[in-house]
This record gives sequence, C-alpha cells and structure tokens, in this order.
Amino acid sequence: MSDSIFVQYIWLVPAVSLLAAVITAIAGNRWLKQQAWLPCMLAAAFGAVWSALALVVVAQADEPVAFVPVLEWLTVSDLRVAYELLVDPLSALMLFMVTFVGSLIVAFASWYMAHEEGYARFFSEVALFLFSMTSLVLVANLLMLYVFWELVGLCSYLLIGFYYTRPCAAAAAKKAFVVNRIGDFGFALGIFLIWVTCGTLSYRQVLAVDQGLQQLTAAGPAVLTTVCLLLFCGAVGKSAQFPLHVWLPDAMEGPTPVSALIHAATMVTAGVYMVARFTPLFAQAAGVGTVVLVIGCVTAFIAAFTALTQTDFKRILAYSTISQLGYMFMALGIGTVAGAVAAIFHVFTHAFFKALLFLGSGSVMHATGGELNVWRMGGLRKYLPVTHWTFLCAALALAGFPLLSGFWSKDAILATVWQASGAATQLAGAVGLITAALTAFYIGRAYFLVFWGEPRDRAIEEQVEHYVRDEAHGPPEPLIMKAPLIVLAVGSVLVGAVIALAFGGLVPFLAGAYGVEPLAHATAEHDAHGHAWGMMLLSAVVALAGLGLAYVFYGQPSPWPDRLAEQLAPLYRISVNKFWLDELGLILVVRPMLAIAAACRVLDNVLVDGLVHAVAAVPAWFARLALRPMHNGLVPFYALAMLLGLAVILTLVLFQIQGG
Amino acid sequence: MPVEFVRNYLIISSVLFSIGAAGFVARRNLITMFLSVELMLQGVALSLVAFGRAWGNYHGEVFALFVIAVAAAEAAIALALVLVLYRHRHSLDVFWWQQLREPGTTPPVPEPVEEAEVSTEVHWPKLPPAGIEPVREKETIDVG
Repeated sequence: MSDSIFVQYIWLVPAVSLLAAVITAIAGNRWLKQQAWLPCMLAAAFGAVWSALALVVVAQADEPVAFVPVLEWLTVSDLRVAYELLVDPLSALMLFMVTFVGSLIVAFASWYMAHEEGYARFFSEVALFLFSMTSLVLVANLLMLYVFWELVGLCSYLLIGFYYTRPCAAAAAKKAFVVNRIGDFGFALGIFLIWVTCGTLSYRQVLAVDQGLQQLTAAGPAVLTTVCLLLFCGAVGKSAQFPLHVWLPDAMEGPTPVSALIHAATMVTAGVYMVARFTPLFAQAAGVGTVVLVIGCVTAFIAAFTALTQTDFKRILAYSTISQLGYMFMALGIGTVAGAVAAIFHVFTHAFFKALLFLGSGSVMHATGGELNVWRMGGLRKYLPVTHWTFLCAALALAGFPLLSGFWSKDAILATVWQASGAATQLAGAVGLITAALTAFYIGRAYFLVFWGEPRDRAIEEQVEHYVRDEAHGPPEPLIMKAPLIVLAVGSVLVGAVIALAFGGLVPFLAGAYGVEPLAHATAEHDAHGHAWGMMLLSAVVALAGLGLAYVFYGQPSPWPDRLAEQLAPLYRISVNKFWLDELGLILVVRPMLAIAAACRVLDNVLVDGLVHAVAAVPAWFARLALRPMHNGLVPFYALAMLLGLAVILTLVLFQIQGG
Repeated sequence: MPVEFVRNYLIISSVLFSIGAAGFVARRNLITMFLSVELMLQGVALSLVAFGRAWGNYHGEVFALFVIAVAAAEAAIALALVLVLYRHRHSLDVFWWQQLREPGTTPPVPEPVEEAEVSTEVHWPKLPPAGIEPVREKETIDVG
C-alpha cells in the first residue's frame, strides 16, 4: 500500500493548507481582497479529493498501515522526532472528514464572511487550522502530536477571538486557551511519562504490543494507569468534557463558520481521535475505562440537560456538541476496539450534521441581523426554505431519527455500552438513553421555535422581510451557500445508513488500524451482537418521543412550557443556570487564582523589584560620588589623567619585566 | 642590540616627549597645545628611527614616515577645528570649552568673561604667551 502515490504524498494535504495560509496572510489584504477565500478553498478541496483517494487506497489494501517518513524535525541524542505520517484506516478516515467538511465550511464562509473586516485574516487562520488538524491526525509521533495539538489550540484562540475588538470575544478566546492549557498540562505530563518509561515517542514503538505496551505494563500497574489518565486529561480539555467543557459554549463568540469548524471538523474531535488512537493502551489500563465512561456519561447528561432551556440559538448547538462528545467518550470508556470504532463512527456522522446545524444557524443569523435569541424568531421556514430543509435534516440526524446518520452511530455507541459487562456500563447505557430523549427534545425545541409558528418579534420579522426582499446584498440564499448545506444534508441523511448497511459498519474497516489480532476479536464481538435490534427500536422510540414532545410544546403556541417550568422550578433553574458550573469555577478556581496572582504581584513588586532596584542603585551611587566630579570638562585635566594612567601602567610593566 | 647606540637617542626622544606632554597639560592656548602634541609625536618618531638604525633594518623608519604622514593630516584637521572654535569665541583659551563635563555640574574653573564689544571686523587667532590667562589688550603676533 505504501507505494501508492496517494499514500506516499499524503503530506501534500497539510502542506498545501499551510501554503494557502501563508499566501493568504501575505497577499490577502493587498491583492486578493474579496478573493482571499480562494487559496484556502482550493487547499481544502484538494485535501478532500486527495484524502478520499487515499481512503480508497487504504480500504483496498491488505496491510492497511503505512508509515510515511517526510522529514526529520529534531534529533537530540536518543530523542529522534520526525515529521513522520501514519496512514491507516483511522487517520485516513479522520483526514477525509476534516478536509471534506472543512472545505464545505470554507465555501459557506466565503459567502458568510463577505464584507467582514479581516476577510483575508479569517481565511489565513482557517487554512492554518486545517493544516494543524490534518497534521494532528496524520503524525506518527507523540511529540509532533503535541505540537499540532497546541497549534490547533492556538488557531481556535485566534478564530474565537476573531472579533477581537469586542471584549466578550477576547474574553472567550482567552477562556478557551486557558482552559485548554489545563488539559494540555496533563497531556504533556503523560507524554513525558511515556518517554521516561519507553524511551521513545513514536507510535510505532509505543503502541506495539511487544514494545511500548509491554514496557508500560512491566513498569507497574500504576504507570500505565497514570499515563492513560494524563492523556485523557488532555482529551478532556480539547474535547470539552466535564469539568473543562466550560470554554465551548463561550467559544460561540467567534464567527459562525468557526463554530462549525471547531465543533464538527477540527479541534474537539482531536481528543476523541487521540483516545481512539491510544485505545490499545487504554484497554490495558485498569480503572481508566470507568473514569472515561463516567466523565463521558456525566458530560452527555449535563450538557443535554443544560441545552433544554437555553435561549441562545448557537449555545443550544454548543451544548449539544458537548453532549455528543460525551457519547463518544462513553464508547471510548468501554476500552475495546468496538468502543473506539463506535466513537469514531459517531465523530464521522456528527461532523456532517453538526457542521450543517451551525451553517444553518449562520444563515439564520444573517437573515435576522445577528439575532440569537430563539424566542424572538419564528416562522423562518417560509423565508429561508433551503436553510429550513437542510436544518431539519441535521436536526433529525442529531435527534437520532430512524435511519438517519445520527441514529446509526448513536445506536452503535449505546449498543456497545449496553453490552459491555459491568454495572457502571449498564447505568451509563440508561443515562445514554435518557440523554438521547433530551437531545431529541432540545433540538426539536430549537427547530420549532426558529422555523415554525409565527414570528414572535415585530422588529426581527421586518428585518427578515427586508433581508429577503432587498437584493442589494445578493439573493438571500445564493448557490455558494446553498451547495454546502445541501451536500451536508445529503451526508447527514445517508452517511450512517451507507456505512452501517453497505459496509456492515466501520468495525471491519477500522480494526485494521489496530492490527490483526484485535480485528478478529472485534469482528467476533461485532458478530455476537450484530445490530442490536432491541436497542435500535428503543432508541428510535426515545428519539421520536422527544421530537413529538418538542412539537407539542413548541410546534404551536402552548401553555405547557411555562407551566412545566413553574412546577419543576428547581430543575428549571438548574438547567437555565447551567448547573452553576461557571459560578462554581469562578469561586473555586478563578477567584483563588486571582488572589494568588495578586499576592505574587505584591511580592514581585516589593521584594524582587526592590532587590533589583537596590542592587542597581549601588553603581549609580558610586558614580555620583566618585566618577561624576572627574568629568569636569577641562581638557588639560583629561590629558593629565591620561598621562598619569599611562605612567602607572608603564611602571607596572617595567616592574613586571624586571621581576620576570 | 647595542644599548649604547640607542641610549642618547632615547634620552633626546623622551625629553621631547616629556616637554610635549608637560606643555599639553600646562598650556591653555589651543594652538600651543597642538604644538605640544606635535612635539610628543616627533619624540616618538625619533625613537622609532633610532631603533630602526639599531636593528639594522628600515622598519622604524617606515613607521616614522607613517607618523609624519598622519601628523600632517592631523594638523590640517586640528588647525581647521581651532579656527572654527576661535570664530565662536574670539579667543584661543581652552577654558572656554568646558561643556564636555557631566551635565548639571558647575564648571571647575570659572569661564572667562566674554568681551563686551563684538567688533564686526574679521578676527584672526593670535598666539599670546599662554599658561596664564591669555592677555587680550594688545595684539602681539598677527597670524593673518
């Protein structure tokens, strides 16, 4: 397989993105102007085509794992870090997802961001983002993984803070960066521990059963567990898991295509990918699986519960992302190849419908003039037909409507969790089902509130009507914006069914990434439960019930929501206030940190600076006392001083000669 | 190296150098100070020539030629500078130029008093006997 040019030159995919970023950064503002999106678009489209071909090559190969050496990055005694790429089913699938969804988002953004200040800057940063993410899924070395992990964090910081003149956007960008830093700290420690134990950071050795894995297990049970927990810590930050998920809702301050990019194609999927990549380690580490499972479970439930009552359109979607990521970690927590495959399956389908949901919300925001409160919208389906239909597809896919993509992947996760042994997994399965109902309900609520009924706000209605009528800014739904929506909608509807029915799920394909032995194991496991029909039926019923309830509550004017909010006031308050997690974080983490920082500042100002100033004052004092009077401006005096100095030196030299 | 051969030359050269150095430190007249520097240079040049002779080669003489060439160039520039300075103050007294000191300190020697009348006719530098404050009432030597 490694002799195929699509595998050999796979590095072209990130390289072209990097090139596009550089070109746009240099030429964007001066020469490209409104064409600044083209380099980024071309790079992303090229990446999508190339990685699709690579995916086909990988799928047809007998031995679907290839290491592609590209260049040496650094060599320090034993430490060799190469920019070496690993092409296997897992990375090829992720690469295709990132570039394909990414290119659609870029196309949409070329319309959405038009006439924005910093058009070129936006696309330069997006191209850099794509470069970082494609490299992240391809590299075959933990240190390189960390480098691109951080680059992804940097790009998200830049893009969330795109409107950096707005204080809230700047604060959100900073929050995302700082919260991610907490996770990355653990991640870095994990990498150090692997280096200390195994003496190598290459996947080739670390993941090999007879090398790194053996060394880690031999070093004692605590070592492997610690490594896995630390790696998971990084994933918790990057993939917005409880309790580090607080940055993701705030990240909505960025432009909407950025939200789509972060939530669907890049950034948050990095954590899932990393844990899936290291599943061989996680499978051996005792107790870590349960931690992952519980965190995922808690995250899924808390986020879904919070999304029930949010009024900010994009925030509902943000909490839904967190919730879906929770699902993925639930599956990863099982610690088997089947679990990892189910998680990656969900990542894949989720990318389609979540990108679509965000792009749809972007279209709505343009029509309503940036309004985000779902209670002020309504009846938008007659103004924005394409947005409405595609959003409906995505919403149904997210809700797990039978036969749509979200249904298959969510079912795969729930079935995997349900059939794993242990009381914790049974409980997690139950929570997963409840969360599925909540998911269907909140996304139905958002959909009905925005697109159904009558406009609730006169000003917004006028704005929308004006937007649809007024052709000055172009048609309300031009082709460049419709096309990505439709492609994503087709993906949201079909992708799951195609993978599940035509290819018999991702298990036979992805198991190749984990070597031959797990393949047999996973296939056996897969055959054992096949498609869990019972679970399918159950989740379908749950999803339909959630959607039906949402229709009853929000499909037409109804007294039920208010009445229910009154009767279940405590629950309602918990949900509206997001479990007070932000406030809790403020009291437990931010305030103490600020206090420590203030103390440090005083210490720095008084003690450290005082010492430095004291030391610095000595020469000044000496100079004032002794040297300043010597500079009296009298040329004869200077000459005399020179002569005397010369005399002294000569005398010394003479004595030296005589003495020697 | 025959020490006896160079001894007398060295004595002469060090005497020249010392006179020059003493003159440079003690005199206040810019032109006299400049002459003193020339004296020091020639003292050194003399010793170089003497050493050259003593070793039996031309190194010292080549060096001395260099010294003379540099001294000529230096004289051209230094005299021009002296002239410019003179134009500013109508005086050759070096104590007029104490601004090279640390800012904010008082001059160690009181600056000479500016002459009251400023004549429009062209002034030329004069060479009064120096070491004490130059006498200004009568022109002794007219350089122009």
